[in-house]
Amino acid sequence: MKKRYFSVLLTLAAAISITTCNGTSEMSDKTSLTIMGRKSDMQKSYMTSIFDQYQKSTGTMLDIIAIEDADFETEATEKFAHGDVPDVFMHFHNADLERFDVSDNFYYLNNESWVSDLTDRSRDYCLDSKGNLLGLPFWESSVSGCYYNKTLLNSLGLKPATTQAEFDFLCQALAEIGYTPICWPEDGCTWMFQLGLDPVFADDPSLLDKLNKNEITYSDIPEVTNMVKWIKNAADKGWFGSDYLKKDWSDISTDMGSGDAVMTFIWDTWFYTDFEQGNKYSVDDFALMPIFMNTVDGGTYEGGNLNMMMVNKNSDRLKTALEFLSFCATDKNYNIAFDGISTVNCFKGQTTNIQSQMVTDAGASIAENERASTAASRIIGYSADDVAAAFGSMFNKDTDVSGCVKLMDDYRIKKAKTQGADGF
Amino acid sequence: MFMKKWLGKLVLSILMCIIGVAAILIGIFYFDFISQSIYEDSTDHLEEIYGQVNRSFGAFVERNWGLLDSWGNYLTVTKNIKSSEVSEYIAKEQEYWGFSEFYFLSDDKSLTTPDGTGENIDLEEVWNSLSQKKEPIMVGGTLSAGQEVTVFAIPVQPGEYKGFGYDAIAISYTNADMADSLNVDAFSGQAKCCVIHNDGSVLLSTQTGGSVFDNYLVYLKAASDLNEDRLAQIQNDWQSGTSGLLQCDIGDVSYCILYQPVGYQDYILLSVVPQSVVSAGFLSVQKITMTVLIVIFLLIGAAVIALLYARSRKQSRKNKTELQYRELMFDVLSNNVDDIFIMLDHENQRVDYISPNIERLLGIPVQEALNNIRVMEKCAINYDVVIPKEELKAIPLNGNKYWECEYMHQNTGERRWYRMTVYHMNIQDVTKFIIVLSDRTQEQQMNQQLQEALTAARSANEAKSNFLSNMSHDIRTPMNAIVGFSVLLEKDADKADKVREYTRKITASSHHLLSLINDVLDMSKIESGKTSLNVDRFSLPELLEELNIILMPQAKAKHQCLKFYVQGTPPEQMIGDKLRLNQILINLVSNAIKYTPDGGKIDFLVYELPSSAHQYIKLRFVVRDNGIGMSEEFQKHIFAPFSREISSVTNKIQGTGLGMAITKNLVDLMGGVIWVESQPQKGTTFTVELSFALPEQEESEQWFSEKITRMLVADDEEEICLDIKELMRDTNVDISYVTDGSAAVEAAVQAHRRGEDFNVILLDWKMPGLNGIETARMIREQIGTGVPIMVLTSYDWSDIETEARQAGINAFMPKPFFVSTFWQTIKPLFSDHTVHNDGGKEAVDSVMKGRMFLVAEDNELNAEILTEMLGMEGASCELAVNGQEAVDMFTKSQPGHYDMILMDVQMPVMNGYEATRQIRASGHPEAKTIPIAAMTANTFAEDVRNALDSGMDGHLAKPIDMNAVRDLAGRLIIKKNKP
Repeated sequence: MKKRYFSVLLTLAAAISITTCNGTSEMSDKTSLTIMGRKSDMQKSYMTSIFDQYQKSTGTMLDIIAIEDADFETEATEKFAHGDVPDVFMHFHNADLERFDVSDNFYYLNNESWVSDLTDRSRDYCLDSKGNLLGLPFWESSVSGCYYNKTLLNSLGLKPATTQAEFDFLCQALAEIGYTPICWPEDGCTWMFQLGLDPVFADDPSLLDKLNKNEITYSDIPEVTNMVKWIKNAADKGWFGSDYLKKDWSDISTDMGSGDAVMTFIWDTWFYTDFEQGNKYSVDDFALMPIFMNTVDGGTYEGGNLNMMMVNKNSDRLKTALEFLSFCATDKNYNIAFDGISTVNCFKGQTTNIQSQMVTDAGASIAENERASTAASRIIGYSADDVAAAFGSMFNKDTDVSGCVKLMDDYRIKKAKTQGADGF
Repeated sequence: MFMKKWLGKLVLSILMCIIGVAAILIGIFYFDFISQSIYEDSTDHLEEIYGQVNRSFGAFVERNWGLLDSWGNYLTVTKNIKSSEVSEYIAKEQEYWGFSEFYFLSDDKSLTTPDGTGENIDLEEVWNSLSQKKEPIMVGGTLSAGQEVTVFAIPVQPGEYKGFGYDAIAISYTNADMADSLNVDAFSGQAKCCVIHNDGSVLLSTQTGGSVFDNYLVYLKAASDLNEDRLAQIQNDWQSGTSGLLQCDIGDVSYCILYQPVGYQDYILLSVVPQSVVSAGFLSVQKITMTVLIVIFLLIGAAVIALLYARSRKQSRKNKTELQYRELMFDVLSNNVDDIFIMLDHENQRVDYISPNIERLLGIPVQEALNNIRVMEKCAINYDVVIPKEELKAIPLNGNKYWECEYMHQNTGERRWYRMTVYHMNIQDVTKFIIVLSDRTQEQQMNQQLQEALTAARSANEAKSNFLSNMSHDIRTPMNAIVGFSVLLEKDADKADKVREYTRKITASSHHLLSLINDVLDMSKIESGKTSLNVDRFSLPELLEELNIILMPQAKAKHQCLKFYVQGTPPEQMIGDKLRLNQILINLVSNAIKYTPDGGKIDFLVYELPSSAHQYIKLRFVVRDNGIGMSEEFQKHIFAPFSREISSVTNKIQGTGLGMAITKNLVDLMGGVIWVESQPQKGTTFTVELSFALPEQEESEQWFSEKITRMLVADDEEEICLDIKELMRDTNVDISYVTDGSAAVEAAVQAHRRGEDFNVILLDWKMPGLNGIETARMIREQIGTGVPIMVLTSYDWSDIETEARQAGINAFMPKPFFVSTFWQTIKPLFSDHTVHNDGGKEAVDSVMKGRMFLVAEDNELNAEILTEMLGMEGASCELAVNGQEAVDMFTKSQPGHYDMILMDVQMPVMNGYEATRQIRASGHPEAKTIPIAAMTANTFAEDVRNALDSGMDGHLAKPIDMNAVRDLAGRLIIKKNKP
């Protein structure tokens, strides 16, 4: 969520004609396509750019239905329930998407021509559990991984880790020298836990399916327990520093900039939005390696959440809608739209966007170990705050590893029940 | 002493400190020595192990090169065989030797595997050696898949494999496999081993995850505590291919780092082992050694402590026992002395100790005194602050101060005197007050007694001076009279009237002088403590009768009214010293007569007082007169010897001043009390209270029941009649009484007419109307002489005796009435039933006439006087000059020749007592019956008792009084002659 929040802040407001009034749309005579999404999402510069290009290029007008962010899920669900389904619907591939009867309402895009231009990461993000491509990813994104101070590490005669064992060794070596190996403030860094869970559910979607049907719990998944054990072990050994319980989000910049901490689990755009300049170390001193949280030996990267444009398969303007998606997936058009935007590539042909050197340097490793954001977006009832609360109990010695896992389950199931999820 | 003890403690403390410091230094030295030895042994051990590892690794490298060489030869020899055969061959070799891949290398740095797959391994740095120098190489690399491997390669004869021209062949091992070849089982798996280049870059690491080491020299620089110089030295060693061992700390862990050249290229085998692991075995030995040493030291220490403790305990017990003994002894001691010991704390004056005898001596419970020493103030008499705080503090250390104190026992009121001495002392560095209350009671009492004695002595001396003065006067007075009248007697010898007058006055003066001497001697005897009581049964009525007989004439001579009263019904018989009681009462009554003017009144009263024991009776004797009395001041000294009140009246009265002192002493001797109440010119009352034992029941009661059943009493005082009736109650005699003579006559006549005569009639002499004599005469006239009539009187009946007997009165008895007196008087009347008219005096007179006395007297003058006096009585005597002669004369005499023996006691040759015993023991027929009377100036009771004990029958005091001789002789001779 943080990641998206800060991305939004960087987005320039588009000066296009978007009408919003509590879900009501203002239709013009030339309207041929309706596009519904969150208001803030619709206002992204690259979105307004592509909308503008399309309208100018095709003369087809777009009816942008921008719903207030806070009301989006509820209002959109009601519209779908009343058959008021737009031609194109923008939504992240997360658990909330299930509300919209994906299989009944949306067109599978497997055979579209632009599919081959999608990066593997972005393509995979948009696949459902059966391998059907649900939408066109058209969004800015970043890579979450273990960003480390390469200058410092090199000065210590150490190399980045490629395995969990090497990472643990590295942490211990750094701790012995006197550094804080991982900057992990307990307050405000609730996303970190999902990074370890991503490969668990991304690599075995059946686990996710069972979990979401309430057929299994976290405690039935050894990797979850392994992750909790590792985090506790890291905390106990001082790998998070001696005062991580007192630190918060803002301390990441300070500790990483000063060199007190050597590594942290963050995303690349953070270095351009939140990392304060003028410290001992600058962004050029950092590099990227996989996140190791004892759930997968080779580590993992989390790809960014992507907004994808889905097509109403029942629309009378299905063809026009598919043409719109093709327009967006054309390299010329998306390079215009993403010109100067800091993001990793969704399309292989993206050239005008700004991609960090860190991500570029770690390209091979990212390509091998990146997983789409899965845990937070796909697990029904998942709440980063709830998971953080469960770990907080363990950090404060109120519970142990199994207790922490149970709390994670309890919170998740409780929230799923609140949401009225099936099987709970 | 204190300084010596302090110095001893100081020396001991210094010695202990030196021993302690020496032990610590030795321990440090020993520990350092052991540590160094262990370190050297450990590093030797480390070098030995990793030397072996290095050799094994070198052999491994050589083996690989050897294999490559043999395979190169095989390829050269079999260059024409099919690729498939080569591939098969290589596969077999790979399976056998365990390398991960086989490579064909061409000079263009490309390589291929037997299956034809290309691979990209960076061999740039060693390519020259392989390609140009044709040297075998070993190099690390990363496969395209990211796997880190170690590659061994050698140049071979150029050949072709599957169209790939090669100039060298190579095999690779994954670094994990390589690490296995370097791993050792030693050091608990905690040893790290790396193969590095001489610049520190890491080829491979045996440790899991150890691949993160990039450059170990850089790592050491960043992570260890090695300084620049040491790091430079290490770098030099590595550059020069020198082995070495270093020790450093990384984080909190100390490591031993051993580096040894592998012997090929610049590779160095680096072994990193935690110090604790390297020395673990040795540390274990060290630990055991230290533990053993510590245990030994602890055991020795414990033994020493135990020994010291045991000694301390023993000493403590000994000290405690000694302390207990001392406390016990002190308690016993203090309990047996009258000194009190207290120990106070200097600061708060809390009581640390107080001897337990304080409870006995002052009545203060020990615990109470321990709680608060101020409780002693309650007992203090002359000291209101028992232990004054301020004064105590003023006593200098080691000084002392004392106070005189007087205390009174809380319970008994007994007073005790103490000298309280307070010592300010330092005991074991603690300041204390030791307080000793030395008992001075005896000393005080002795001083008081001495003071009193001194006062008494002075008083006595003064009294004696007065006495001598008085005696001088008193003795000279009769002596003057005797001498003077003797002169006059000689002068007027021819004038019969003058002779009789002078003789009478000389006799009176002599008697007075004699009584004076008797009193002096008696007092002297009493004061010397030689007086003892002669306790025997006696009759109170008899005693009173004798008093009456003795004193009544004296009172009569002064026309005084002397009356005897008995109040209550005291028993008649009792046990006591009658002689001394008589003496007491005679003294009192004589004094009353003496100091009561003519015509005065004297009452003698006897009271029976309640007695606490039934076998005793307590009597009060009161002698009350209305005489001249005495001053209050004199009353205080009246019982002191030689005390006489000086006044115009008393000066005219003869006296020794010893009478009352003798009386007081006798009363004290008999366990009684005496006091006097007097007012000048109003009279004096003396009161004596004495207790007497009671004898067994009288036999008179049975006699009365057999002889007398009815009796008539006539007395004008009805109280007397009632007293008589009460006294006679136990005799069962029926008492009828009347209060005048006529009634008595009437009663007697009426009884006679009824034929029920009274068995006896008792008449008071002086009754209004008919007196006793007249009444008796009338009764005789009416009823004859069959009924005995007795007269009861308080007066001397000698003047009326003849008339009374003529009137028919059979006997007289004195007032007051006593049953025993009555019985003794009436008993003879019933024995012969005749009325005797012979008076006693006449019988005695007749006894003296014609009697022959044996007189034993060594003093011729006394013998002559006695001879003359006996002659005057119509008797004669024979003289013996000592006891032996008396014995001889008696034993030789015919029976009946002597009627009585008068025996002086103190005689030469043989004294009177011995002579009497020999006479009694002689075979003379009258040896047992001949009356013997002592004649001696020794007039005390003891003298009388000695005389009787020797066998004598009586005692006559010198100078001999013929009346006494006559009375005694009369009784003894009549008794002797009775059948």
